[in-house]
Amino acid sequence: MTANMQKKILAAGAAALFAISTAAAQQTTAIMNGAVHTVTNGVIENGDVIIEDGRIVQVGADLSPPAGATVVDATGKVVTPGIFAPISTIGIEEIGLDAEANDSSPERGAGFPLGAALDAVDAYRPMSTLIPVNRAGGVTRALSAPAPGDSIFAGRAAVIDLSGRPNSVTKARAAQIVVLNYSGAARAGDTRMGSWAFVRQYLDEARAYAANPDDYARRPRDDRFTLYDLEALGPVVAGNQPLMAYVYGESDLRNLIRLKNEYRLRVIAVGASEGWRAAASLAAANIPVIVDPLANLPAQFEDLRSTLENTARLHAAGVEIAFINPQEFGAHNLRLLTQQAGNAVAEGLPYDAAIAALTLNPARMFGLDAQFGSLEPGKIADVVIWDGDPLEVTTRPEAVFIDGVRQGLGNRQQMLMQRYRDLSRGDLPHAYRGGEN
Amino acid sequence: MRKWTWAALAVVLLGACARQGGDGAAGADQAATADSDAVRPPTDPYPSIYEAYPSQTVLISGATVLTGTGERIDEGAVLLEDGKIAAVGAGDAIQAPEGATVIDGAGKWVTPGVIDIHSHLGDYPSPQTESTSDGNEIVSPNTAYVWAEHSVWPQDAGFTRALAGGVTSLLILPGSANLFGGRSVTLKNVPARTVQGMKFPGAPYGLKMACGENPKRVYGDRGGPDTRMGNFAGYRAAWIEAAAYKKKWDDYWKDYDEWAQGDGEDKDAPEAPTRDLKLETLAGVLSGDILVHMHCYRGDEMVLVLDLAEEFGYEVVAFHHATEAYKVADYLAENGVCAAVWADWWGFKLEAYDTVTENAALVHAQPNGCAVIHSDSAIGIQRLNQEAAKAMAAGRRIGVDIEPKDAIAWITANPAKAMGILDRTGTLEAGKMADVVVWNRNPFSVYAKAEKVYIDGALMYDRADPARSPRMDFEIGQPGNDFTGGAGQ
Repeated sequence: MTANMQKKILAAGAAALFAISTAAAQQTTAIMNGAVHTVTNGVIENGDVIIEDGRIVQVGADLSPPAGATVVDATGKVVTPGIFAPISTIGIEEIGLDAEANDSSPERGAGFPLGAALDAVDAYRPMSTLIPVNRAGGVTRALSAPAPGDSIFAGRAAVIDLSGRPNSVTKARAAQIVVLNYSGAARAGDTRMGSWAFVRQYLDEARAYAANPDDYARRPRDDRFTLYDLEALGPVVAGNQPLMAYVYGESDLRNLIRLKNEYRLRVIAVGASEGWRAAASLAAANIPVIVDPLANLPAQFEDLRSTLENTARLHAAGVEIAFINPQEFGAHNLRLLTQQAGNAVAEGLPYDAAIAALTLNPARMFGLDAQFGSLEPGKIADVVIWDGDPLEVTTRPEAVFIDGVRQGLGNRQQMLMQRYRDLSRGDLPHAYRGGEN
Repeated sequence: MRKWTWAALAVVLLGACARQGGDGAAGADQAATADSDAVRPPTDPYPSIYEAYPSQTVLISGATVLTGTGERIDEGAVLLEDGKIAAVGAGDAIQAPEGATVIDGAGKWVTPGVIDIHSHLGDYPSPQTESTSDGNEIVSPNTAYVWAEHSVWPQDAGFTRALAGGVTSLLILPGSANLFGGRSVTLKNVPARTVQGMKFPGAPYGLKMACGENPKRVYGDRGGPDTRMGNFAGYRAAWIEAAAYKKKWDDYWKDYDEWAQGDGEDKDAPEAPTRDLKLETLAGVLSGDILVHMHCYRGDEMVLVLDLAEEFGYEVVAFHHATEAYKVADYLAENGVCAAVWADWWGFKLEAYDTVTENAALVHAQPNGCAVIHSDSAIGIQRLNQEAAKAMAAGRRIGVDIEPKDAIAWITANPAKAMGILDRTGTLEAGKMADVVVWNRNPFSVYAKAEKVYIDGALMYDRADPARSPRMDFEIGQPGNDFTGGAGQ
């Protein structure tokens, strides 16, 4: 790593943590002759990507592999940056309905007092089986985000990598989650008047606390909010940490724009199935949007105008977009983000915009675009080689690199499949077959 | 009470009886008593009033045709006439009859209409509110007495979205909270003012049952079942009761016939037993008239259920969700049971933890294996072709020999078989209902769109023609809806 590069990384912010393993430092890899989707500089047919010390050092055509490099022939393959899942519960949810195996949110109705203070890093488990399963689908980074309990603030989300190593947090406290759709109203007296008043009240208190923490802390207990929550909202009211708001309907989106301007926040809208109704305003307010491109049902009264054209319309209006996975708060199938993107393309989103929505845009939303999201010299080498069009449902990754390290694509599902491929009785029961780690 | 005769229903039950092999004999026995005046509970009190809409003679020529029977015809043709499939074959072998509309199929693919064996459309409609949530009668572990059709709201916009995804028939099931959830209903995906107007004429009824976590989670603190053994005790007790109920009616009909054949002068006609809606449905299963659809994730539980069915003399047509079907695919194939699965959903509960994407392919790979891809989702139902594509691709990667011509059956012929309607629809074969989808390209692709959907030969959806795109009552007049996508929105 050059001194210059190190400076660049440090400049990216003290909160960011880039743990490039020692293994990466020893590896040089040359991915040769693939269709290279750089995201920032178009597609290089028969392109090469050279990786050294965990970073991309060269991208182009007719490059020569450095001496000692491991050469990966990508002829006929497609090379993209790793998929960056912009919201999920990865690492904090193993089994949805099993309370003991799901740390993604406080139980509803249990009266647990904290909201904004909750931090995904505290529950993050790099050994979750969801990580290798989704990694095999080309996902290399993800936001691991709490889901809401009783509070409309769900807590602080972290960007993690999908290597599964003990220290896989890329950026802790990368965003604060708030629910301001109907689900938020349901947590605030069952009315939007409640949820919007509640969010303003919290932001006001957080400002008061940030202005003078000691004074605020000396207030009588019943005259102040929970200090932990207010402290957690400090970076939000300072405009340093994005507030990720679940908002579906047009009216709530317009409220969100007002809130952003009023409090000078950084805001990301999640859901936004009626986003197209406020597309120009969202673009003007510089609010990125994480959408489910398949949402086309009048699922709730708040988003009766959901349409498959939403994604393409938002993009056309200049809104930065990324994709929500089909389970919204879930994490099991982040590997389906590419299918989400393919469907958006089938409904009119330009192909390049769909690739950017899977890679660069999420990185930018969390202030990590200097390190991730495109194939450019200097960026961290999260790279996927696909056996075809990455947006096609019949395509799979052949190789996945995180921090320049080629990852294993084996996972629990694959082992189960191997164990039971042959159902014959054999010399020993199935429990003795396959499944070796 | 409406009188009903076996003779009239014999036609209706044909599909089910033929499919269930030996059970056909029972139907024939009962048909022999057709002229009896004995009290017979109505088996079709809410009869279908579905009628096909006017159709044209249509020749789709020059397309890639997947018949659903395992055949692929490149540059093939499909002729639709009088609401039926009139001919399927090589493009140059089928001539357009005079006056036929000829569709240039170059670059297009033609398949049977998509069939979803697991849907809750109408019962859990959009918008999803407390007041529309009508899919799960969570009041008792045995609610075999409820019929899903009585909850179907025909104005659910989900039907139109499914139509844009090529869905022509679908099975609406009650939810899975209960051991016995209630009766399912098979619909044609043609909008109507009433559910009767959508009911697939003559389709056999189904009974939804559930294994595993759901019943014990829901009833664990409400009197049970609280365990999987409690689940099985609940099934067995109910079948014992149902068998006794069935015998009571069988004895009554026998006594009645004896009485009718005697001089009848010196005694009154035997009295009919009291009807019990719950037991009537269960007895219908034991008679082979009602098909069992079993929600079951774990392989070991599926094999227990096969023994349960054997114990009480009925058959399970399909295990639904069946995330572990691949672990017991041999047992399923030997018993002729289909596994209706998702391509890749998993982990939302522990019994869904062991999903593999090769599940459908491994079920398919067994001799006589029957894989079905289902949705259980108002979103998923719109793209069953993509789900089948993923499952096919996963199988191909491990060397299972599956091509689109085979995998298309997972969303057409195989669900039709399990639903007891394969003799009427589910494949492109002459004489069957003209339920047909024209795709803009190979449907095993994320970019594929259904361009035209025919149901009984009538063009019910045309992606290029807003006049051939239904809109439900709920959606019209909602300000701000200026989308252009038609039924698919």
